[in-house]
Amino acid sequence: MIEVIDLKRNFKSGDTTVHAVNGISFSVPDGQFASIVGQSGSGKSTLLTLLGALDKPTSGSIVVDGQDVTKMHDHKLIGYRGRKIGFVFQNYNLVPNLTALENVMLPMEFAHMPRARRKARAAELLEQVGLSADQQDRKPGKLSGGQQQRVAIARALANKPKLILADEPTGNLDSKTGKMIFDLLHDLAKTENTTIITVTHDLSISGKTDVTFTLHDGALVKT
Amino acid sequence: MNGITRGIRNAFRNVTRTTALVLILGLSLGLALAMLVANQAVSDKIASVKSSVGNTVSISPAGARGFDGGGTALTETQLAKVDALAHVKSVSESLSDRLTTDDTNLQSAVEAGDLGQRFSQRSGQGFSIEGGGPMGGPSNSSSDTGAPTVARTFTPPVTVNGTTDPTNLSSGTQGGGTFTLKDGKVFAGDSTENVALIGSTLAEKNNLSVGSTFTAYGTTVTVVGIFDAGNTFSNNQVIMPLATVQKLSDQVGSITSATATVDSVENVSSTTTAVKSALGSAADVTNDAEKAEEAIKPLQNIQSIALYSLIGAVAAGAIIIFMTMIMIVRERRREIGVIKAIGASNVKVAGQFMAEAVTLTTLAAVIGIVIGVAAANPITKMLVDNSTSSATSQTMGGPGGRAVRGAFGGVQSSVTNITASVGWDIILYGFGAAILIAIIGSGIASLFIAKISPAEVMRVE
Repeated sequence: MIEVIDLKRNFKSGDTTVHAVNGISFSVPDGQFASIVGQSGSGKSTLLTLLGALDKPTSGSIVVDGQDVTKMHDHKLIGYRGRKIGFVFQNYNLVPNLTALENVMLPMEFAHMPRARRKARAAELLEQVGLSADQQDRKPGKLSGGQQQRVAIARALANKPKLILADEPTGNLDSKTGKMIFDLLHDLAKTENTTIITVTHDLSISGKTDVTFTLHDGALVKT
Repeated sequence: MNGITRGIRNAFRNVTRTTALVLILGLSLGLALAMLVANQAVSDKIASVKSSVGNTVSISPAGARGFDGGGTALTETQLAKVDALAHVKSVSESLSDRLTTDDTNLQSAVEAGDLGQRFSQRSGQGFSIEGGGPMGGPSNSSSDTGAPTVARTFTPPVTVNGTTDPTNLSSGTQGGGTFTLKDGKVFAGDSTENVALIGSTLAEKNNLSVGSTFTAYGTTVTVVGIFDAGNTFSNNQVIMPLATVQKLSDQVGSITSATATVDSVENVSSTTTAVKSALGSAADVTNDAEKAEEAIKPLQNIQSIALYSLIGAVAAGAIIIFMTMIMIVRERRREIGVIKAIGASNVKVAGQFMAEAVTLTTLAAVIGIVIGVAAANPITKMLVDNSTSSATSQTMGGPGGRAVRGAFGGVQSSVTNITASVGWDIILYGFGAAILIAIIGSGIASLFIAKISPAEVMRVE
């Protein structure tokens, strides 16, 4: 269960204060696939940044498995992000000079998993997302957008996280590939019992998730 | 794969940039290495020159040098002031005199020859025999005063040296050479006995051996040792205790030369000044260290140039690698954000970048060592040649230039004879410096890494 309570994130812009996230509260049960929609500047990405513990809120709480993430020290957050959260980004964000396999092994290395185990798991995950052995040894530049996003999904799953946060995961893909990636995420949410929260402005995707949150000017306007 | 392996691989992500960087950094390290070698070679030469000139100060009565010149003998009271000066370890004193046929039965082992006859006739001004004119030296010329013409024969005198330092036989003696005791033993420095060490040719000429006696100043003196100095002049001398010579020659308390031993070569110059100050115009005070200082001045300039160039080259290398790492970190902000977002700590990310910097500098160090080894000797020689030729032309151009060259040409030619060699220790220093540069360069860059937020990954470009 992930629970967001009265979450706020303000930014200073000159003399004015921008309320990027303005008192949002919601909860998502384990294994559910949730989407956050809204116009550009509505605070979707800021909310995702806070949920992923990449940034700290001005106030409010994010409770994951009964633990308030906003109260954690920075060094604890490193471990938390590595073990409890998986990220999937719109532009994949793979490390360019590492192969697909090495990219997937990376979070497991930071979680101190033995090399042999992480290699086996990375190969297994890449196979699960549909990358052949040959493709696994290619660097991101030699893979298509869809294949790179599959590698990113495999990387996000590497440490069996409780929560996967996806920022416009289909934004850079054509509609066919985008649908395939969405289906992949949807299936993984069910098979791995992982909570997935995705930010999207693709209404065809948001309509298929278990729950959809609509943001407007930093506030939750519809669930 | 771990952070170190990733760092090593990252060093080759941009081959063109890596090649350019390694070459520039290699040149910088090569220059640093060459300057380190030059600095060391010059330092060794300076130390060698300094140690070769010794740490002594020579003191003689003003105007006197051996039996040349004139002046008034120094006194033991005056030399006691020298002995009390700071940095003076000891003072050895000597009194030189000549034994004539009137006060010794020794026969000189040196024949007068043409030179001796000429020197005897020209040893002073205004000499004539008693009744013929002022005293001062022999004369065989007739004069307008009506003095009788005297036909003179000249025999080189036997030199006697009284010393307080008989263990150093060359101390206070004339003629130079390497003095070695062939037979017998030396007397004590403070002895007052009528004993003597005599030169081997003098002993041979007079059929003397250890235990024999001869007459000096009308007194019987016992031979306790025979020395060999390796040359005819020095072997025609007698060495006796200072107090004995002072007593027998009726010169109690007189000193004709002294040598002050200073605690270190570095203090010779200041001690010379102190001795001059203590004795005033009564003494001539000299040391070889001052001449050596003149000769090594160009080397000290080279040492400074090499040191500053070394610091400059190392600083340039550090700046190059630092700027490069800053550029790389700025380029990879998003990648750093990604790595942090998926669980890497600042230390792990910094370690990865440090490994990259060390890889780059190690490659540059290899090139730098090749350049340094090849360039060290030519650069050192060029610096020495330019610097010493400039210094020599300045010296020769001024007053006394000929004298400087004549007296000290040997040392000057010696100081230019420098060979810079690159040993393993220097190579290890080079590698050490390269690693240090990498650690400093990437260490500062890691401060920037620490400031990069994992939220950077969400930045839209």
